Amino acid sequence: MSALRILVSFKVTPDFEALRDADWLAGAAAEAAHGAAPGVETRYVRRVLNCFDESALEMALRLSDARAECGLATDLGALSVGGRETEPYLKTLLALGYERAARVESEAALDFAPAVTASAIASFVRQGDDPDLLLLGWRSGPGDSGAVPFLVAEALGWSCLTQVLEVEPLPDDRVRVACLADDGLLRVTLRLPCVLAVGNAVVSQLRVPTLTDRLARKHARIDVLLGADLGVDIAGELRHATCVPTEFETIDRARRGVIVDGATPAAKARALFAAHLRDLVEKL
Amino acid sequence: MRFAAVLDGTTGAAVRQAQALGGFLREGLSGDLVGETLVFYQDDRDKTRLVELAPTRAVRLIKSTARRPERVVELLAAVARDEDVPLFLFAGGPGGTELAARLACRSNGAVLTEALCVEAGPERLVCRKYVYSAHMVGRFELSGGPSCVTIDASWNEGPEPELAEHDVISDTDETGDPAEPAFEDVELVDLPASGDLAGSRFLVVAGYGAGSRKGIERIAQAARRMGADFGVSRPVAMNAWTPMDRLIGVSGTRAAPELCIVVGASGAPALYWGIEKAAFIAAIDTDEHAPIVRNADVAVVDDGVAVIEELAQIIAAAREAD
Repeated sequence: MSALRILVSFKVTPDFEALRDADWLAGAAAEAAHGAAPGVETRYVRRVLNCFDESALEMALRLSDARAECGLATDLGALSVGGRETEPYLKTLLALGYERAARVESEAALDFAPAVTASAIASFVRQGDDPDLLLLGWRSGPGDSGAVPFLVAEALGWSCLTQVLEVEPLPDDRVRVACLADDGLLRVTLRLPCVLAVGNAVVSQLRVPTLTDRLARKHARIDVLLGADLGVDIAGELRHATCVPTEFETIDRARRGVIVDGATPAAKARALFAAHLRDLVEKL
Repeated sequence: MRFAAVLDGTTGAAVRQAQALGGFLREGLSGDLVGETLVFYQDDRDKTRLVELAPTRAVRLIKSTARRPERVVELLAAVARDEDVPLFLFAGGPGGTELAARLACRSNGAVLTEALCVEAGPERLVCRKYVYSAHMVGRFELSGGPSCVTIDASWNEGPEPELAEHDVISDTDETGDPAEPAFEDVELVDLPASGDLAGSRFLVVAGYGAGSRKGIERIAQAARRMGADFGVSRPVAMNAWTPMDRLIGVSGTRAAPELCIVVGASGAPALYWGIEKAAFIAAIDTDEHAPIVRNADVAVVDDGVAVIEELAQIIAAAREAD
């Protein structure tokens, strides 16, 4: 039986929690250029794996482990559409057992262009990677659209499920999937190939490679592709995008913020209850 | 401008979808618009109820099969192709996102998910939505083919639409799709009770400031003692200190309780999004400069576990006295 080919597409994002209030205000105040919002300056902030993509990457490793125990082969590939900041993550993935690692170079930010991101991923799949299963996170910042998995699936003519929690390969070319649907937790069987967008899965943290693993794969190649290599005109698609951000606003969430006084935790709890919570709690 | 609201009555989410669409049409959608509702149904016995739920007077009924998004997209694409409908509206959630994205892709249109509002102008549509994990609101202009827009979860909790009259324009049977279904052996499992935080009236939310699994357990126990539901921030769930279904925030549940007590969470926007609809927020945190302190109605600056345990004792005693 041939190996199950899994491709995981991931994104590296700025750590939004590390930005200062002033950065958000500056992003809101920046003037729009050519009808498109400039966005918030995030270049100095540390990068993190999008949390749902991290789950997808670890889920693929566990699928591979489970299949190996049954004597079945799995071929893992990792893809990111983005800049050089993705390469340390790709190297880590190679050390963890991913056989293939590729990056589609994009000089322009695709943060608010899910259709362009999806176009690049779908073209990569069509032009040779040819996976049986495409895994990715169900959404990522800063655009938070959740549309990319479906846009990729539509371009490929594949089925897609989002907010996936568990994946179990079946003996034939199908997978059994648990996912959140509009009306509850759904268990469903899909035929491969398909796209699965991982949500709040229990598997949430990517394992760490050993130094030995890193050394063993330190010469493994990362394929760097341009949009043109895949037949995608990234700049052109961005110019003709049908959904364009033009402005960002900060959100004033301030409430009264009354501070409760007291000498000890017990005294503060009593004051909180007596002055603010008693009536509310009685009504609940 | 014409619009079509899409109500998928083939799954158990029709009422929530109707609430979201109804509220959005009343308060979230502006401009010179005339719309109809495309109601997908599976069972003839559901038709009357689904028509009542429709948020527009004009209704088109389409008999279809549940969990066949590929078929629904085909039917919507035919509407987009044959009739001049520049705006399709979907309730938020996995189903709406799939239909909106696939329809936009197939019709060379635009997709925007989780819209807070839509303004329909003579030349373009303008939508606003949360971006940067709810740190900001972005304004987006949509152009090209049909705009396929899903609605933000904040519209889900409104009342059901109560239009006095509906005109059923058509009722077609589209169940005879010869294509093989994409999904097999479909089994809908009820979510565990702990996952139903969206409807909570009294909620305690714990953050990473609890310090350890033990700290989280103590806060959860205090929540139980005071009769509150219990949720956590993402870092807590990521550390496997609680199941993922307790997650509150952008990547989890959005709640709108009467009272929310936040313990040991800084109140980052990604979490705050999940509780900002709370009628009253009390925060307990050691850092008086944490965002949650200024974004709460009342705050205690102290050790969260110690204060919440004292508070649980006081509330439990007050309830026993009643």
